[in-house]
Amino acid sequence: MTQVPVTKDQLALLEKRLRTINEVMTTKAAIAQTPKELVWTLNKAKLYRYIPVVPQQNRHPVPLLLVFALMNRPYILDLRPGHSFVEFMVSRGYDVFLLDWGVPGPEDKSLKFDDYTLEYMPRAIRKLKAITGAEEFSMLGWCIGAILTTIYSALRPDDGLRNLILLTAPLDFSNQQGLTFARWANEKYFDVDKVLAAFGNMPGEMIDYGAKALKPVENYIGNYLKLWDNLDNPQVVASWHSMNTWVTDNIPLAGGAFRQLVVDLYRNDRLMKGELMIRGQRVDLSRLRANLLTVIAEGDHITPPCQSESILSKVGSSDKELFRVPGGHIGIMAGSGAHKRTWPHIESWLGERSS
Amino acid sequence: MTEEQARSSKPFDPLEPFRGMRDAYLDAMAKAMVEAVNTEGYAQATGAMLDNTLTVSAPFREAMEKSMLQVLEQLSLPSRQDVIALAERFSNLEMRLDDIDAKLDRIEKQRHSAQSVVQAEPAMKANSSSKAKPASGVKTKTPAAPKRAAPAKQARARHRTARKGSR
Repeated sequence: MTQVPVTKDQLALLEKRLRTINEVMTTKAAIAQTPKELVWTLNKAKLYRYIPVVPQQNRHPVPLLLVFALMNRPYILDLRPGHSFVEFMVSRGYDVFLLDWGVPGPEDKSLKFDDYTLEYMPRAIRKLKAITGAEEFSMLGWCIGAILTTIYSALRPDDGLRNLILLTAPLDFSNQQGLTFARWANEKYFDVDKVLAAFGNMPGEMIDYGAKALKPVENYIGNYLKLWDNLDNPQVVASWHSMNTWVTDNIPLAGGAFRQLVVDLYRNDRLMKGELMIRGQRVDLSRLRANLLTVIAEGDHITPPCQSESILSKVGSSDKELFRVPGGHIGIMAGSGAHKRTWPHIESWLGERSS
Repeated sequence: MTEEQARSSKPFDPLEPFRGMRDAYLDAMAKAMVEAVNTEGYAQATGAMLDNTLTVSAPFREAMEKSMLQVLEQLSLPSRQDVIALAERFSNLEMRLDDIDAKLDRIEKQRHSAQSVVQAEPAMKANSSSKAKPASGVKTKTPAAPKRAAPAKQARARHRTARKGSR
């Protein structure tokens, strides 16, 4: 007889859990909450400036530009209040700008690294300098954003770039056996021209499948079990919700840039060999002279550490550092431990070089 | 809280008794799958699947595009290609506007700095003469003053040239 109320309670709790699952799976979390203003646009690209919270006299005089990958939304850098790299850096007195590449449409299918690094980035940086009045700036590139910032820094070494931070940067493609993506993108199995002839741009869903298929059990099963196991922990649920909002917000990659990524980088490793041509100009990494911090995620399955290590021996910078962090491709910056390890290290490294 | 109450407050989880077993199984499965997707066989199979899908769908896609183009022409509506061409032209225009905007900003900045030099000049003259009088009562030449006017003149000249250029 006493079992009846217990069962009722348990059913009520089960119902509550199912409601929570339904909510986090079907709604979008409140993300990218740090106040910002739009200061520049070009085609789909937007440059945001985060509203400073530190008085000007206490701020670092060298502004910081964040450049994220082309095929994901950049708000992973400003995921949610209390768990936002942008919020952290703004509170430490940095003048933070974010370059959002936007969503490429069919008209952008021919956009290449050439356009992003020689048309968009120089103009965005010109605007940043005009707004801040600073002659020098720092830049942080993450994933494909790190490829773009590296190319830009090597092509325009006299543009005032003082500090360059590369996060999980896929730059070295020489270890073909160690790169699953390189195996999949092999010309024997993958016809990049056929795919782009059909779609124009590389669809976001295909990119998402590629990233998830590297660890299928973790991404398609483990991720949801983690939510189920922690449904009674509001912090974990909120974190899962915001991350799921970002992960499911896929955008296509411009066809021209995707072809370069596959043919020039994954198949031929042209950047490291010094053979990558951008608008007829060879990308010579020894011309990159900015202070360099390369952050490597030790458990990164998307950009294995071997892809980011060798850049240090190729650049012309005299001040360079390699920083290893335990964690995955996204986790090192957006995971629960990021504010204890990655962010403080980046902040202290940059702080010493931003006065 | 009694043990029974604690048990009743804990949410019902049908997977609870199997959790340890489940985790061990998933770990093994995850390792096996990571190895599987990293093989030539997997790359070949997914590549072939994608290639077949694209080959099969290509004729349908092309036929659909052709018929859609004809329909749009009949209705005097722009096709996707027309819109794309327009969008590309807009992007080029945007770039040129951005460059013009930056040039105007630079000119404005130069004009402001030139103006501030011109405004500062009489004040400096007045300052230097008022300071000089009580000290010695002798008029002193200030050769720096005409030299300081030169950048302002140059800035104004540059401004005029830039304006002519933009016309």
